[in-house]
Amino acid sequence: MIMDCGKAQRLLNELTDGRLSENVARELHRHVEECTDCRVARQRAARLQQLLALKRFEQPSSDYFNTFLNEFHQRLEVETAPHTNLWERIINNLAIEPVRTWRYGFTGAAGVALAVVLIWRAFNPPDVTQSAEAQQTPTPTPAHILASSTLPAPHSTPQSIAAILPDSSRPTRAESRTSSAGNVVIVPLAAHNDTSATRYVLDSIGITPASYEVASIHF
Amino acid sequence: MTTLMKLPGKFRLGTGSKKPVPNSEAHLAEQLIDYQHQDDESLVACVQHGEEAAFDELVRRYKERLYATVYHMTSNHEDANDLVQDAFIKAYKSIGSFKRQSSFYTWVYRIAVNRTINFLKRRKNRNHFSLDDIDGAIQTDPDFVELMSHVTPRREAGLTELQARLNEALQKLSEPHRAVVTMHDIQGMTHADIAKVMKCSEGTVRSRLFYARQQLQGLLSDYL
Repeated sequence: MIMDCGKAQRLLNELTDGRLSENVARELHRHVEECTDCRVARQRAARLQQLLALKRFEQPSSDYFNTFLNEFHQRLEVETAPHTNLWERIINNLAIEPVRTWRYGFTGAAGVALAVVLIWRAFNPPDVTQSAEAQQTPTPTPAHILASSTLPAPHSTPQSIAAILPDSSRPTRAESRTSSAGNVVIVPLAAHNDTSATRYVLDSIGITPASYEVASIHF
Repeated sequence: MTTLMKLPGKFRLGTGSKKPVPNSEAHLAEQLIDYQHQDDESLVACVQHGEEAAFDELVRRYKERLYATVYHMTSNHEDANDLVQDAFIKAYKSIGSFKRQSSFYTWVYRIAVNRTINFLKRRKNRNHFSLDDIDGAIQTDPDFVELMSHVTPRREAGLTELQARLNEALQKLSEPHRAVVTMHDIQGMTHADIAKVMKCSEGTVRSRLFYARQQLQGLLSDYL
């Protein structure tokens, strides 16, 4: 039987694996001895096996397999650990006893409540003190002022007016204004009228009128 | 799970005629020695009956072969380590459902090879080598000596370069072809065993082997 090169090269593969019967192997060897192409193919197949054999010498470091089982146990422990929810993980990470955590929770809640109250008070100032004071010391009216004290002289200074006013109706530093001329005295309306809103009236003007002279007109 | 790695060196055997206390070190050490003499099937039965330490012996038996297969398929030490560890963990977790229709060896091999093939498909086009060192014993290996005697000046190559080229060529094969070459030509497994691991016929194994070798001959023609 004459063996063609295609069949011979397929059988070379089987020969490498040692799977050929004696008769077929003998016939293949005969063909290979006579055929240069198949001889080269056989040589290349053999060298490939030698080259692949180099891979067997690639080895990890000597202690790698010694620690393999330990690493396996560690990984297995992580894999089989019961899954915890987020809250439990936070507690575990913080390493805080559950009871103490509740205490911290209550403290936090109390703090939040206090902050809410303070914010509420800041935006809604209570009228309690004002009303109490209002009950104790009624807001002076012009009539009170007239009755209770001597009226200021027509040319009284702002300080003298302020001195006879009760504290609540005394103009503050910002309210007590003097004009640029220094002679205009502005006092709160509270001294004149019983209104809650502070208004200002011109009490006196001490400006000395300048003499007016008709300017000469030259044409 | 009991860590039996700690046991060697702590063995306290021969404590008279006293029977070791269950779960004591002596008891575990006796168990370890006992496991070493049991076949795979008995060890699997032990694990299935709750003797978790028996699985350590199975890991000890197959870690090197499994690592070698996965390493040659990935050409990366770190990836191989992760994949083999994962394969053993998967095997441990699933051993309750292992029906012993095939050997433990074939079963765990199948887990490792399938995981590696899936990993390599995901890792496509990202070949990052992390090669293990070549054992010095190679210098006296007859195959290596013969191979190097044929190296002509044109093809003269250092061992490291040869290793790199060989790994590059292997990585160019498809995953099933690479798996077959690794298991047969590097690890020396039989066609029948490979067929069981890869759940295919022996004919498919032979066919894959033929085409993989043809491709490798083309890729490594400078060195052949």
